Amino acid sequence: MTPAIITKDLTKKFGDFTAVNGINFEAARGEIFGFLGPNGSGKTTTIRMMLGLLPPTAGEIQALGISVKGNQAELQQRVGYMSQRFSLYNDLTVQQNLQFYGAAYGLNKVDLKNRIQDALAMAGLEGRENAKTKDLSGGWRQRLALSTAILHRPELIFLDEPTAGVDPISRRAFWDLLYQLVADGVTVFVTTHYMDEAEHCHDLAFIQRGNIIARGSPARIKETMMDGQVLEISTSDAIKTVKVLRAAQKAGKIPLKEVELYGSLVHVVAPNIEKKINDIQAILKKAEIRTEQMAVIEASLEDVFIASMK
Amino acid sequence: MLKRILALVKKEFIHLRNDWWLPAFMLFGGVLELMLVGWATSRPINNLPLMVLDHDRSAASRSLVISLENTETFELEAMVGDFQTIEEALERGQITAAIIIPPDFAEEMAASNGSPSLSMILNGAESVPAIAALRATEGVIASLNEKIIIQRLGLSSDEFSGFAPRLRVWFNEALSEALYTTPAEMGLMLEFTTLLFAALAFSREKELGTLEQLLVMPFSSLEIIIGKSIPVIIVAFTDFVLMLSMIHLFFKVPIRGSLPLLFLLAFVYLLVELGKGMVLSVISKTQMQAFLLVMLFGMSDFMFTGYAAPVESMPKALQFFANIVPAHHWLEIIRGILLKGAGMDVLWPHVLALVILGTIIMTFSLSFVRRALD
Repeated sequence: MTPAIITKDLTKKFGDFTAVNGINFEAARGEIFGFLGPNGSGKTTTIRMMLGLLPPTAGEIQALGISVKGNQAELQQRVGYMSQRFSLYNDLTVQQNLQFYGAAYGLNKVDLKNRIQDALAMAGLEGRENAKTKDLSGGWRQRLALSTAILHRPELIFLDEPTAGVDPISRRAFWDLLYQLVADGVTVFVTTHYMDEAEHCHDLAFIQRGNIIARGSPARIKETMMDGQVLEISTSDAIKTVKVLRAAQKAGKIPLKEVELYGSLVHVVAPNIEKKINDIQAILKKAEIRTEQMAVIEASLEDVFIASMK
Repeated sequence: MLKRILALVKKEFIHLRNDWWLPAFMLFGGVLELMLVGWATSRPINNLPLMVLDHDRSAASRSLVISLENTETFELEAMVGDFQTIEEALERGQITAAIIIPPDFAEEMAASNGSPSLSMILNGAESVPAIAALRATEGVIASLNEKIIIQRLGLSSDEFSGFAPRLRVWFNEALSEALYTTPAEMGLMLEFTTLLFAALAFSREKELGTLEQLLVMPFSSLEIIIGKSIPVIIVAFTDFVLMLSMIHLFFKVPIRGSLPLLFLLAFVYLLVELGKGMVLSVISKTQMQAFLLVMLFGMSDFMFTGYAAPVESMPKALQFFANIVPAHHWLEIIRGILLKGAGMDVLWPHVLALVILGTIIMTFSLSFVRRALD
């Protein structure tokens, strides 16, 4: 089967500003494809082009084996979308929102009834059909928005920062739903800037200033993008530790790539980090910082992206 | 296609039910406004406050003041002793007019070659009462003149027979302001209601962030436009029927012409304003922006309708503009059908203009909105 999405030299310019700069990628069917990047990096612009809402300046996009250009009517039936901003009508009830979407996609009465049942079950909103959508909390609304967006059983669904502003437990529940969808053969294209969510994707593209700077599975990105290993240090004073190590790095006393505060811990990145542990310990001791723990850990995506953003 | 349009219309009506103040405003705001305008203008202008500074204090000067009061246009606010009081009262807007009678008023009236004079000061800041005051005073002075002439010619009043005009006012015998103001006001309220409602159609969804979703769904742009238009047409037309019933029942505005013709042309006019409103709607990003644009367009249309100032007395360039404002033709049609009982044989130039302008506006609007949505 052809990939769910193929972009070829996809470019979008707004006047002099290049929002998306000739990007190429493929997203395989039945997988969660994560599209990562900081705010303003071109994520939403790319999604809008893939949905046919925005014409590309150059390049082309194929979705589900057909060109987006000129096939919008067909793709509208086969593709789903849940936007960054809340996409349901707040003043409509749960039931009314679902009915409106179903009618818009031309579902017949029996199908609509069954699918509304499924959607309510999926969102966990059984018995709350008549609640106004605006009265639901953020997590419920996101799940309702997702189950509404798949009411017409799309083969491919685009999610633009679906969990922005939602609490961690609701985010976890939302991702469980995404895994269910993928198990049913749906392709999920999701943008996010939560790194823990990115770890859950099968495949990733990292976009920065309109360019893709990293591609591949989370594991592969960590391998290829990271120059060195991560040493996690727990000390009596994390902030002072960062200062001291950065000063030492600047003065050329020790070849480190990165020194970053990581909560109450400090992450130090360098090639062959094991061989530098002794030196680091010596520096900290001299600065009268007590080292509590020190261990070489597996790099998180956050480490990778902070390193590659510089 | 029908099913999808129906789904949209249903959704729009749920919004209207939830946001009940919006349709309530659309339906009853106009009626209420008409009620106030009709009420305030249903009587002729009278009881305008007048101040008199009488330097003469004679029988003749007193009789002049009484004649002025008898016109009912004036109500004597005060007889004052100095000019400063008048000046202050005018500045405060307390009085509409002041009369200053010179010390030799009676003397000059009585003398066979005298030329009596008097001064009048009007508050021109409010031109409508000022003009009414001027007319009433002119009437009093005219009859005073007549008296002087009779007296000087040594005739008795039975012998004198001057020019006695027979004036008849057509279409509005009592010259009731309400018959003039309420149909015009109704026409304008229909414009504002339709424009505002149509302007909210897309700006609202844009502001709430739901328009994107609507565009991703399998609606064609034409379906969206039709689905959004139907509720506007239903509400605006209901509003029109309500307003028409109101002015007919309460202010006795006659419906002398054909009612079906009026309804048909109201519908045509409504479509024209709908088209304009939709364009405003897609170029606005928020409801507030749409609202302000409606005010801007509505207000400038208002100037060209001929309601505030007759189109015939405008400068040539503005007269041209008035002819391309649909509301101008619409007001002529309303007045023609209601007050004059005019039919197509008389109204055709305005109907033709409305249809031509309507076709241009609708064609532009449809292609503009479709392009904006695609």
